[in-house]
Amino acid sequence: MNHPHLFSRRHLLQRAGAGFGSLGLASILSEEGLLASESSDPLAPRKGHFDGKAKSVIWLFINGGPSHVDTWDYKPELEKMDGKELAGFDKNTGFFANAVGPLMKSPFEFSPRGQCGKMVSSLFPKLGEHVDKMAFIHSGHTESNNHSPALFMMNSGQPRMGLPCVGSWVTYGLGSESRDLPAFVVMSDPLDRGLPKGSAANWGAGFLPSVYQGTWLKPKGDPIDNLNRPSHMNDAQQERQLALLNRLNKQHVTKRPGDEELEARIKSFELAYRMQKAAPEAFDIDREPEHIKSLYGVGEKHCDHFARQCLTARRMVERGVRFVQIYSGGMENQRSWDGHNDIQGNHSQFAGETDTPISGLLTDLEQRGLLKDTLVIWGGEFGRLPLSQKSKKPGRDHNPHCFTTWMAGGGIKGGVTYGESDEIGHHAAVDKVHVNDLHATILHQLGFHHEKLTYTYNGRRFRLTDVGGNVIRPIIS
Amino acid sequence: MSKFLFPFAAILCCFTHTQAEQTPPDHAERMKAGIALFRESIRPALVSDCVRCHGDEKVRSGLDLSSRKLLLEGGDSGDAIDLADPSNSFLLALIRHEEEPTMPPKKDKLADSLIADFQRWIELGAPYDKPLLEKSSETTEMRITETDRDFWSFRPLSNPEPPTPESDWPQTDSDRFVFARLRENKLSPSPPASDRDRIRRTYLDLIGLPPTPEQMETAVSMSHEDLVDDLLASPHYGERWARHWLDAARFAESHGFEQDYDRKFAYHYRDFVIKALNADMPWDQFVRWQIAGDEIAPKDPLAMMATGFLGAGVFPTQLTEKEFESARYDELDDMASTIGTAMLGLTIGCARCHDHKFDPISASDYYRFVATFTTTIRSEIDVDLDPKTYEEELAKWESEHAEMDSTLNAYESSPEVTNAFQQWLASDEPSAISTGDWTILDISEAASSRRETTLTVQSDGAILAYGNAPARETYTVKTVPHSLPIHHIRIEALTHDSMKRKGPGRAGNGNFALSNLKLFAVSTGDETKSRKPIKLISAKATHEQNTEHLSVASAIDDDPSGTGWAVDFGGIGKDQAAVFQLETPLTFPQGTALEFQLAFANNGQHSLGRFRLSVSSSTDPAVITGEGRSAKLDEALQAIAGGKTDAKDRKILFPYFAKSDPKWVDLDRARQDLLARKPQPQRTKLQVSSEGFPPTKHHADGRGFPHFYPETHFLHRGDPNQKGDVTRAGYLQVLMRNGKTSEDWHRKPPPDWTRTSYRRFGMADWITDVDDGAGNLLARVIVNRLWHHHFGHGIVTTPNDFGLQGALPTHPELLDFLARKLIANGWKLKPIHREILLSATWRQSSLPYPGHASLDPENRWLWRYPSRRLEAEVVRDALLSASGQLDTTMFGPGTLDERHRRRSIYFMIKRSRLVPMMQIFDQPEPLSSQGSRPSTTIAPQALLFMNNPQVVNWARAMASEVDQEDPATAIKEIYSRALGRPPGESELKDSLHFLEEQTTSYEGTGNGRQLALADLCQTIFGLNEFIYLP
Repeated sequence: MNHPHLFSRRHLLQRAGAGFGSLGLASILSEEGLLASESSDPLAPRKGHFDGKAKSVIWLFINGGPSHVDTWDYKPELEKMDGKELAGFDKNTGFFANAVGPLMKSPFEFSPRGQCGKMVSSLFPKLGEHVDKMAFIHSGHTESNNHSPALFMMNSGQPRMGLPCVGSWVTYGLGSESRDLPAFVVMSDPLDRGLPKGSAANWGAGFLPSVYQGTWLKPKGDPIDNLNRPSHMNDAQQERQLALLNRLNKQHVTKRPGDEELEARIKSFELAYRMQKAAPEAFDIDREPEHIKSLYGVGEKHCDHFARQCLTARRMVERGVRFVQIYSGGMENQRSWDGHNDIQGNHSQFAGETDTPISGLLTDLEQRGLLKDTLVIWGGEFGRLPLSQKSKKPGRDHNPHCFTTWMAGGGIKGGVTYGESDEIGHHAAVDKVHVNDLHATILHQLGFHHEKLTYTYNGRRFRLTDVGGNVIRPIIS
Repeated sequence: MSKFLFPFAAILCCFTHTQAEQTPPDHAERMKAGIALFRESIRPALVSDCVRCHGDEKVRSGLDLSSRKLLLEGGDSGDAIDLADPSNSFLLALIRHEEEPTMPPKKDKLADSLIADFQRWIELGAPYDKPLLEKSSETTEMRITETDRDFWSFRPLSNPEPPTPESDWPQTDSDRFVFARLRENKLSPSPPASDRDRIRRTYLDLIGLPPTPEQMETAVSMSHEDLVDDLLASPHYGERWARHWLDAARFAESHGFEQDYDRKFAYHYRDFVIKALNADMPWDQFVRWQIAGDEIAPKDPLAMMATGFLGAGVFPTQLTEKEFESARYDELDDMASTIGTAMLGLTIGCARCHDHKFDPISASDYYRFVATFTTTIRSEIDVDLDPKTYEEELAKWESEHAEMDSTLNAYESSPEVTNAFQQWLASDEPSAISTGDWTILDISEAASSRRETTLTVQSDGAILAYGNAPARETYTVKTVPHSLPIHHIRIEALTHDSMKRKGPGRAGNGNFALSNLKLFAVSTGDETKSRKPIKLISAKATHEQNTEHLSVASAIDDDPSGTGWAVDFGGIGKDQAAVFQLETPLTFPQGTALEFQLAFANNGQHSLGRFRLSVSSSTDPAVITGEGRSAKLDEALQAIAGGKTDAKDRKILFPYFAKSDPKWVDLDRARQDLLARKPQPQRTKLQVSSEGFPPTKHHADGRGFPHFYPETHFLHRGDPNQKGDVTRAGYLQVLMRNGKTSEDWHRKPPPDWTRTSYRRFGMADWITDVDDGAGNLLARVIVNRLWHHHFGHGIVTTPNDFGLQGALPTHPELLDFLARKLIANGWKLKPIHREILLSATWRQSSLPYPGHASLDPENRWLWRYPSRRLEAEVVRDALLSASGQLDTTMFGPGTLDERHRRRSIYFMIKRSRLVPMMQIFDQPEPLSSQGSRPSTTIAPQALLFMNNPQVVNWARAMASEVDQEDPATAIKEIYSRALGRPPGESELKDSLHFLEEQTTSYEGTGNGRQLALADLCQTIFGLNEFIYLP
C-alpha cells in the first residue's frame, strides 16, 4: 500500500531537503532484523549529512533564566560600579519597568578553577572541577524578554509557538538508536513547582510528524503511558493475546502482499512488547550501585530529585536515546531560576539542587567513555541584568541581550571561552552568538549542515535555524 | 561580495563604489573586451531569459540581474558570481545545469557557446555598459502580470468535456476522467470491492463510524446510491467532516503560550462547522461567514459563531510592552495566513518579510490583505442562539396578554360590575380601606444585578422576580416617597405560586437570605445628584430563622455576605415582614428619591421571589404584613370624600372593591401570572471575531495591551520597528481579473451601521467572486480537499499549496470539472460527495493487483482504492461504537477527560494539554493550518491497544454484550460488531482455541470466561483490519 500520504520513504524524501534525503535515508540501518521494512519506520536510525562527533544530547535546561554574571561570566568591572545607576538604561529591557535598581555586583565569590583557570562563582563548588571539559559561550543573545517566547526561541529557533523543537529536528534527522525507549525524552521538575512556561509546546514537533515530539516523563507514577500490562492479566496471558493478534493479522496481510505499512504495524506490536519489558528497567535507577548513586547526589535531600533525573539521563543515552532534556526548576519566579527577588537566595537554592548531580553526570559519562559522543548543554532561555531589581532582597530582571551557555562532550573543546559580554554583562559584545548559532552548532555536532536539514510544509521549506545560523567553529575540537 | 569589486570600480563610473585602490595594468583592455561581450552576447541572453524574473517583474530568490551592482550583491543563496574564481560561480553552475534549480527554468539549457561567453564575461569582471532596466528605486514592488495569472491554479475554470472512452466501467463523469488517465498510463481499474467492504468503507468515510451489525445487514439489501444518500443525511456526517475542516482551521479552545488560558466559548465555532456541513450550507456562504459573518448576517447566531475561525489561532496573553506590536502583527498574520492556506491553498504568509519567493504575491499585497483585519479582535458576546423561538414565544405571549386584558376589561366594564362598583363608591366601605401605619411605595425602577432575573412591579405594589435564580445577586429599587417624615421602612417577603413551597424565597426550599440591606437618599433635584447612605438601626421581623447569623438584625450588620435575614423553620409558605428603623428620620424635600439595595449573597439562589416596600412616619409601627396606604390611594380616597372621582381614582379603588369578587380575583391572578411568564431571550456567550465589541480580557490587559492598532503599516522585513506607509485593505492582485482592483470589492457600511468597518465584507465578496475574484481557486481548493479525504490524496497532493511550489494536479480537467459542478450546484458539497462516492473509481477494491504495483506504486492514477489507516478520532470512535459505549450527544463544550464517551471531535482542544490518544495517532498540533495528516506507525500506538485502561474497559463492555454461553456465537458477534463480517474458518478456529486456553488460565478467578472474552475483544481491536479502511 503505497500512496503519497503515508509516512513512507517517499514521503520523507519528498519533504526532506535534498541533501538529507540522498545521504541520510540511503544509509538506514537495519537493526537486528527487527524491522520488516525500515523505510516505513520513522524512528529507524539514520545518519546525518556527515559523521557527527555526538550521537546524543543531554540538555540541562536552566529554566527561568540563570544570571550569567553570578555564575560563569566573571565581571570585575561590575564590582567597581556596584550601586551606580546605569545611564541610558531602557526600563523596558526586563519584565518589570518599575522596579529597576542600580548596578549590583555579584553576591558570590569568584575563583579560578581547573587547569584553564576559568573564574567560576562559588555557586558551583563541584561543577567548577569540570571547567576543562566545558566550552563557555558568553555572548549569547535572544529575541524576547519574556519567558515563554524566549523558551520557544531557545527550543525551536523562533519566539513563536508551534515550531518543531531541537529534539524533534534531531530525531527527525537521525531517528533513534534505541528500539525500546522513546527517541526524545523530557524531564520536568518533580517537586510540584510546575512545567516550564509554554509547557509541552517546548518539546512539540510543530509541523513535523508527531512521532518526533518529546516524550514527557511524568514526574510521578508511571513515567510513560500504557507501559504496564493490564492488571487483570499475567505475562503469559498477554503473550497469548499477542500471539493470536499476530496470527490473525498475518492472515489478513497475506491477501495484501508487499504492504509495508501493514507489516510494519504487525512489527510494532513486537516492538511495543519489548519496550514494555525494557523501559521499566531503564527507568529504575535503584539498580545502580551505591557509589554511582552517591556520585550524583541521590539521597541528598537538597538535590536528590535532580540527581535521579541526571542518572536517568545517563541510562537513557547509554541505551541509545537520542535527545534528553531536563528542566531545572518549575514555572517561574522563586519556583525556578527566575530570580526577580533575592538573586542570592534563589540562585544558591537552584545551584545547590544541580551542582552535585551535573558534576556527577559529567564524571560518570566520562568514566564510561560516553562523554565523547554525548553533547551536554547547560543554559536557559535568557540571562539576567547586571542591575538589581528592587525587592525586599535584591533580585535581577530578565536580560535578553546577554547570557551564557556552556557545552561539553560530543566533540566540543574543553576549557575554552568564546565571545564576550560588555564589561558589566549587559550586552553581548564580542563574537555575538544568536540562538540560531547555538542550534547550528548543536546540529553540526550531530552531523548536519543546518541549512540542509529541512522540511517542506505549507509551501515553505523550513529549517531549525530559519534564515540564520553560523556554526561556532572555535569551540569544536 | 564587494571585495571582488575593488579592481574595477574606479573606471566603471556608472557604479558608485569608490573604494578601488589598485587597478591591474590591463584593466582598460579587459573592460573594453568585457563590455563588447556583454553587448553582443550577454545582454541579449539576460534580457530574453533571465531578467523578467530577476529584476523586472520579480526578484526571485532575491537575485536581481538588472545592474552590475545588484548582480554583485547576489541573492538568497549567496554570491551569484565569483570574480576571484570565475569558473566556480554559482550562476554558471545553474546555467550549466549542475545545480538545482536549473536556469533558465523549464527551458532548454543555453547553448554551450553562450555558457562559455558567460564564463569569459565573468573572468573579464562582468561589466555592464548600462543597467538593463531603468528603475526609479531599487525596492520596486513586484509586478503582477497576466503571465502570473496564467498559472494553472489562478486561471478561470476550464469547461472540460468528460472523455468518452469505449468501456462500460465508468459510472460517473469523474470515472471518465480517471479512466482516460489510467489508459494513458497503461493501467486498468480494479474490480469493485465486495459489498461488505464497500459498505464499511462508506460508513467510515462518510460518517466516521463503522456500521453496526444491524446497519450492515440493512445496507446489504440497499442500493449503494441509497446508502450514500442516507449517510449524507446523517447528523454524524457533519461530525466526521467538520474534523477535517478543523485541521485546516487550526481550531483550538485555548490561547496557547504560557498560561494557555481556556477560550471557554470557542466551542461554538465547532458547532457551527458541524451544523453548516449537516445543512449543506453552500461553501461560498460557509467561507463568507467565517470571514465576515458578523457583518453579512449579524442577526444570525450561526454567522456570529462562524467568525470564531478568525480568532482560533494562538495568542501570547503574557506580553511585555516591547512585544505588544509584534504580537498584534503576528495575530494579523495568523488570520491572513490561515485564510490563505485553508481557503485558497496559498501561502500568503510567506510574503510577510519580502515578496513571496515563488508565488506572485508581493509584500505589499500581503500588508493590504492583513490590513483588512486591522480592527478585528476576539470578543465574547451574549447572543440569543434561537432568536426565532424567542420572537415566536413573545408574539404568542403578547396575543395571550391582549386577550387576557380584553377579557378583564370586558368583565370590569360589564353593567353589573360597574353598577355594583358605583354603589360601593357611594358607600362607607372605601373609607375603611386603608388604615394603619404603612404606606406602600410606588416603585419607579427595579432591577437585578444579574440578567437572568427580571423584576416586574405588580398591581398591588409588590415586585415579582422572574427567571432562573442566579447564585448571587443584588436588587436595586428606586422610589420617590410622598409621605414624610420617614421613621421606619418595611420589607414584606411575599408568597407566590412561582416559587417552591410558594416562597417567599427563590431557593430550592422556598427560603431566602437577605444578606445586606442598604438605603440611600438620592436627591434628584439639584445638579449634584448627591447620594447619601441612610443608617438603619434596630430591626424586627414577623419571623426569623434564628437569632444569630440568620436573624433580621444580621441584614444590617457589618457582614455583607456571611449573615442575613432568613425565614426557614416556620416561616416558609407565608408572607413575612421586616421593619427597620432609620437612625435619623427622613424629612428631605418632596422629590427626593430613595434607593434600596437588597443583596443576596449568603447561599446559592437565596433571593426574594416577591417583595414589597413600605415606609412609615409612625415612631412605633406595627410589625405586620398586609396592605397599607399608598400615595395614590390617599389621593383617590380624598377625591371620594370631595365627591368627585375621575377615571384614575376609580382605577385605583377598583381592586379594593373587586377583591371580594371571586371571579375578578381569578381573572386578575391569571393576568398577573401571565405577566410573570413574559418570555425572555435565552442568551449564551459566544466567542466571535469582530470589531467594536469589548475585547476578550487577558493577562496583557494589565499592562495596557491595546488589542489592536488603528492602522496597519507596511513593515520592512516584517519588522514592526521598520514601519513603512500605512496600508489600505486590499486583496491579492494575482486573483483579480478583468482590470478590477481591490476598490471594486470595497464596501461601505450602510448609514445605520457603525460598529464594524465592512472591510472583511469586501474580502468575503472578493474571495467568492467567480467572475473577477478568487472564486475559482476557492472552488478548486475545496473540491480537492473532498477528493483528498475520500482517496487519501488529492488531485493536487498538496491541499494547502496550490502555488508554484505545490504539486501539479494529476487530473487537472477532473479538478476543474468538479469545481464547476460545485458552483453549478450552488456551492453545495453533498452533490460532490455523491459524485465521488457513486463513482466506480471509489468503489474499486483496495486489494493489490498484479502488475500494477510496479507501474504505479504510488497509485497516483487510482487503479485501486487506496486503503489507509483511520484517523485518530475514527479509531477511538470505532472502539466506542463497536463496544456499544458511544454516547451520540451532539454539540456544546468539550472535555479533556479521556474517559468520556462522546465522539472524539468533542474533546476539548487545549493547546498545552493535547489528548495523548489523539496525538499518538497523528492528530496535528493546532498551531497552523494542516491540509493533510501524516500516518505514522509507532510502538506507542501498539502499547495503547495492549494496555490502555480505556481500551481494556471498552473490550470488557463489548464482551458483556455478546453471547455468554456459546463461544462460537460470541466470536461471530464480536467479528460482526468490530469488522462487519463473520469470521473465516481459521479465524474462528484460532479464536476458539484462544478462548479455551485463556479461560483455563483464568481458572479460579470466578469469571474466567468473561475475562477471556474481553481479552479476545481487545485482540480484535488490535487487528489491522479494524483500523484500516477496507
